[in-house]
Amino acid sequence: MTVIARRLAGHLARGLVMVLVVTTISFVIIRNIPGDPIAARYEKLIEQGMSPDQAERATAVLYGFMPKGTLWQQYVDYMTGLFTLDLGESLMTPGAQVTDVLFEATKWTVLPVLVGTLLSFLIGVMMGVYAAIKRSGKLGDVLAVSGSLLHGIPQYVLALLLGALFTTLIPILPSGGTADIMFEPGFNLDYIGSLIEHATLPVLTYALASYGGWILAMKSSVVTVLGDDFILAAELRGMKRGIIFRYIARNAILPLFTILALSLGLLFGGAIFIERIFNYPGLGLMLIDSITNRDFALMGGAFLLITVAIIIANIVADMLYTVIDPRVRSGEEVAR
Amino acid sequence: MTVETMPKAVPPVPSKTAPGVRVGGLSVVYKTSAGELPAIAGINLDLVPGTITGVVGESGSGKSTLALSLLNAVQPPGRIAAGSVEIDGLGDVVALRGEDLRKARGRHIGYVFQAAQNSLNPLKTVGKQLLDLGRSHGVSDLRALVREAKELLGRMGMDGARVLDSHQHELSGGMRQRVGIMLALVLNAHLVVLDEPTTALDMITQATILRIIREVHEERGLTTLVITHDLGVVAEVADRLAVMYGGRIVEQGPTREVLGGPRHPYTRGLLRAIPRLVGDIDEARALPGRPPTLGTVPREGCVFRERCPLRMDVCDTVEPLAIADGPRIVACHAVDAAAAKETKA
Repeated sequence: MTVIARRLAGHLARGLVMVLVVTTISFVIIRNIPGDPIAARYEKLIEQGMSPDQAERATAVLYGFMPKGTLWQQYVDYMTGLFTLDLGESLMTPGAQVTDVLFEATKWTVLPVLVGTLLSFLIGVMMGVYAAIKRSGKLGDVLAVSGSLLHGIPQYVLALLLGALFTTLIPILPSGGTADIMFEPGFNLDYIGSLIEHATLPVLTYALASYGGWILAMKSSVVTVLGDDFILAAELRGMKRGIIFRYIARNAILPLFTILALSLGLLFGGAIFIERIFNYPGLGLMLIDSITNRDFALMGGAFLLITVAIIIANIVADMLYTVIDPRVRSGEEVAR
Repeated sequence: MTVETMPKAVPPVPSKTAPGVRVGGLSVVYKTSAGELPAIAGINLDLVPGTITGVVGESGSGKSTLALSLLNAVQPPGRIAAGSVEIDGLGDVVALRGEDLRKARGRHIGYVFQAAQNSLNPLKTVGKQLLDLGRSHGVSDLRALVREAKELLGRMGMDGARVLDSHQHELSGGMRQRVGIMLALVLNAHLVVLDEPTTALDMITQATILRIIREVHEERGLTTLVITHDLGVVAEVADRLAVMYGGRIVEQGPTREVLGGPRHPYTRGLLRAIPRLVGDIDEARALPGRPPTLGTVPREGCVFRERCPLRMDVCDTVEPLAIADGPRIVACHAVDAAAAKETKA
């Protein structure tokens, strides 16, 4: 257990360094956008008749930090704010803390993405096993080919197709928003029903877009394990089919867990197109809005969140492997 | 447990004594793009109860196919095309299907894999796989099974408790091989097939494994079949020896007699090819040519004629019959001709 704890501590330390590096880079990039938007803004406000004090405050609100002192001083101010989770105020919604805006948007991204990904993982893995076992039959071919095709369609094309199909051609699903405004938000059936209705299209898109990948990955993984000696050995020892099937499934699914954990991290940032198309107020949509509105504080916050999500997903993937694969576990013990 | 809940098809109680095995006219074909090609053809082999039989041959001679046939486990695209494998207390294995076949494997016939192969699930401890094995065969007293396993492992010089608690990657090749032998014997099978039991092991471990095979064989009263490409292994453990070439058994007989006075030109060639510890290294003569593959085995005549120093006209057209002379059986026209001359003289 101490081995796992030590491993985790190492990961966290490295993750923290990574976050600092990424934050620094995005800070530098924002400060070096051609034309120095901060100075330009500041001067424009003075031209408009603001006092230097007022102009400075207004600029600070816009960029999330006080453009005062040397670049180094500004950087230190920004970083200290970061450690107290103070990312400044958002421009789009004046007075709102960036952190609050981020958390509000995050919940609309995390839930649909999580449901969609887990759904496609479950179905994709099961179909992949089937496709592997029936790989010389027609149905296996159909499954594999359909997986390849789905895998090849870009997410946003899929989203457009589904949107057109279910909101215009066969209008059975609503488009846009998280729920009908006529329902009182809260824990009542109408509202929750409307929530689910509105989330169906984004979730369906996430699920379909990744499903093909799971089928193909699981199929090839199962085919590899089927050729392993220990499967034939189990058969020759007269093991029950159910037990042999479990041996195959557990060994084959192992590499997929890593992909799953990593893809969950990526989906925080990858939902941009889909949320834009379905006008779903998640992180992706928020990021687009913050870019079009030049809301740099919010942008920086969104980048930070996406970075942290991916780093955490990496750590989870690695720790998960340590827990489920005994070979990795004891490898660590030897290295101790 | 009431009578109703007992499994209906109670597998026949494994014979407490070593079973005899009679392989008759066994042919296995593999489906290829060039049609079905025979991997082994017309194999006749008796395993005498309580003996160790060694099968020797080069890669591709069909010896592993023969071993798998004993469990009716030839893997697709191969299939048993003809013949029978009669095992005492079990009947003809070739006719067994489905659950009957599954239950026979492991309980009646133990199969030990080549040590280099990973015959254990890498994600589970040996102990858990032992329990899976017990449950597969309806063993009600799993504690007794674990006790038996520990005893067997201890008998082979290992710490049973520790091994059962280990994963495959924590065991060395020699340890894995002993675990394989334990799993083959723990259900009290009395017919054991070992496929290349010492390949990929170092010399000292090889010697240990061979000693264990011999001792366990005697203690438990087994009928054992050892498949190997190593004449040294056969010389060490086997009572009887069968030499395979091109999917046929070309010569068989008591190990000492066959090794001491080989009759078939292939057996002679094999023995001549072994370098001696003493004497000139040049005395070892490699067999010229190369063994046939599935596609190049001649369809008629003797399979060895291309490399044979005693080749005659008849060898091109007629496949030599296996002729018994006492305990020795040889399939060679030249040997027959020599024997015929001798009897005339």
